[in-house]
Amino acid sequence: MSRLARAWGQEWRYLYRDSAVMMVLLGGVLFYAFLYPLPYRHNVPGEQPVVVVNRDHSALARELTRRVEATPEVRVVARLDDEDQAREWIAEGRAHGLLVIPAHFQRDLMLGRPTTLSYAGDASYFLIYSRVVEGLLTAGTTLSLETQARRALMQGREMTRIPGELQPVRLVREGAFNPLEGYIDYVVPAVFVLILHQTLLIAAGCLTARDRWRRGQGEAAVPLRLALPLRLLNFVAIYLLFAMLYFGVFFQYYQVPRHADPIALLALATLFLTATGLCALALGYAVNRLEGPTLVVLVSSLPIVFCAGFVWPSQSLPTALRWLADLVPATPGIQAFLKLNQMGAAPHELAPELTLMLAQCLGYGLLLLLLARHRRPPQPLWVPPHRD
Amino acid sequence: MALPDGGQALREDSWLRLLSLWLPPLATLLFLAIFAQGAPRDLPLAVVNLDPGGASRALIRALDASPGLAVHREYRSLAGARVALRRGEVLATLVIPEDFAAHLRQGRSPRLAAFENTQYLLAGKFIGSALVDAVGDYGARAGAALRLAHGDPAPRVALAVKAVRPQVVSLFNPAMSYARFLVTAIAPAMWQVLLVVATVLAVFWRLRRAPLPAGNGARLKAMTSTLAPLGLVFWLQGLLMLALFAVFLEWQPAGGWGWLLLGLALTVLAVQAMAVLIVALMPEPLHALSACAAYLAPAFAFMGITFPRADMNTLAWWWGALMPSTHYMELQVAVADHAAPFATLWPPLVALLLFLAPLPLSVRALPGGGAS
Repeated sequence: MSRLARAWGQEWRYLYRDSAVMMVLLGGVLFYAFLYPLPYRHNVPGEQPVVVVNRDHSALARELTRRVEATPEVRVVARLDDEDQAREWIAEGRAHGLLVIPAHFQRDLMLGRPTTLSYAGDASYFLIYSRVVEGLLTAGTTLSLETQARRALMQGREMTRIPGELQPVRLVREGAFNPLEGYIDYVVPAVFVLILHQTLLIAAGCLTARDRWRRGQGEAAVPLRLALPLRLLNFVAIYLLFAMLYFGVFFQYYQVPRHADPIALLALATLFLTATGLCALALGYAVNRLEGPTLVVLVSSLPIVFCAGFVWPSQSLPTALRWLADLVPATPGIQAFLKLNQMGAAPHELAPELTLMLAQCLGYGLLLLLLARHRRPPQPLWVPPHRD
Repeated sequence: MALPDGGQALREDSWLRLLSLWLPPLATLLFLAIFAQGAPRDLPLAVVNLDPGGASRALIRALDASPGLAVHREYRSLAGARVALRRGEVLATLVIPEDFAAHLRQGRSPRLAAFENTQYLLAGKFIGSALVDAVGDYGARAGAALRLAHGDPAPRVALAVKAVRPQVVSLFNPAMSYARFLVTAIAPAMWQVLLVVATVLAVFWRLRRAPLPAGNGARLKAMTSTLAPLGLVFWLQGLLMLALFAVFLEWQPAGGWGWLLLGLALTVLAVQAMAVLIVALMPEPLHALSACAAYLAPAFAFMGITFPRADMNTLAWWWGALMPSTHYMELQVAVADHAAPFATLWPPLVALLLFLAPLPLSVRALPGGGAS
């Protein structure tokens, strides 16, 4: 028992005396929780600047411009006569959208002749584009429906038939989760899981690599069959605290919707952190230099984000990449946390993700055993002279 | 030191070779593969059909035929569809109301309710606009049928159905390919991460090999000798990245290639200057790499391609301005998409030059080096 206690004490000492690990745990985990949501603090993009090219100069065209101005999505920064001039505004970045009202717009609409409203958005920026088009389309469509209804009335068509003739079916859309379509609510729940994952890989991976180096120098050390389980336990315990901080305190601060039962969330976090922790220890053994885990994490972050299925639907990924992504604990982790906490799924509905994470625990556990037996110690890149 | 020693660093350090020679093109190809579909196709949709019959069957067929949609399953009640939605099996649920067929026939404009999974914001928007298109087409046909049934003459029906044609143009990305929109921004962000890490590794390689000379000029020369070959490699990698865009994404700069070549070169210098600064401030490899992670890993989020920079708060705007990638992307969009005039191009180029300002100081502050 006392051997176990001594071993545990030793593992803790290695942990808190490692300045690089402490920098990740204390600085990184807190700083990232502030940094990653920072660009999205306004949650929804504001009014985007658009220009209106009005070739009609009728009352109806002026009314349309007013409607466009009144939408929350766009604001009219210029009324121009010429489309080329409008494109210059867009090229210079002064406007991101364009509405062209054709000549004789009012006359054609009232006479029931086909007419074309053109909307253009700057598709170099996805969010800007979809917002511009949404605003312009809403204004244009409602105004033309109203005008057509008025015309139908003047023509003496039966009042009860008009809605069905103008709009045979109506589509009412609603966000099932994240009803505001906010960027914070979209990015933060997924990226926070990824931050926990990546910092745990760095911290536990680097500590393991350094431990191997120390052992290689012939320092007395706790036997591996004690050291590795204790290290895993330490990191899972620390990261459960971080998980509570992230999913409890910070989600509340960022007002991210939360539906999960805390106990279920804690259980999921334990499984996820165990899988990630085992992956981190195996990573610490797989690399051939001390900085290896940090390098691997840095290089893998962007690919993981876009393969994890919350940005780009995983159904749309090539099959080989889907398999590759399933090797990373973050992939089922992000999905399981989103479904449980943001989308309100019951724990038993997460069977695929939970099974995958269990398989990852087994796989990385076995890999760790294998590597711990056979790998030689890693080399440091460079030890600065002042620090022996 | 006649020959630059950066070449030797590449020969000796296998990680450096991996980071600078192999990973940049592989990463670009990886992102091209991820978004190979361009726009997601066949997104799974659940239909709750409360009015089984000919009209709803025709609607479901129309939905399934839309390239963006695939009807995953048909439900008779809302409960089952709700489970499928929150398990992520489907990305949206469409409810066909009771009396759908009757109301359609009577011209009472029945209401279809769609619940989209906007937790996955992009996918939710995709399936939403696919639904708008599919339902719109179905509605136009149903409306025409209705008017004909009311005895309107066919030519008038044809006019009425498309009284106002909305024409939506996606400027600078005519096919509205998300591959083009995302990959052309993610790949530069990734290239920048590889560049900063490779530069930091190269600086440490130099420090480990031999002590730096004492004089400022000599130091700057020593650093140039180490970093110039690497910078050249990454500049060529940047060109290769743009060439891959051109081959796989039909990306053709509307403006001059020259500006992009200059922009890439200045970005390489700016990132390398920042890497030297990081090592000068944190002469411990693990600390320096962690600093790189904190500084440039989130670059994609700050460059404004997704969430616009103009809508960020001041702090986020400034943090983004401290990353070379932000200015490079501003230039890339201005040159490649907008074919913008010189007045729009010079500010990002000058901003990239400003990153070189701390270089003399940070070269002086580098640790002496030498084997420990």
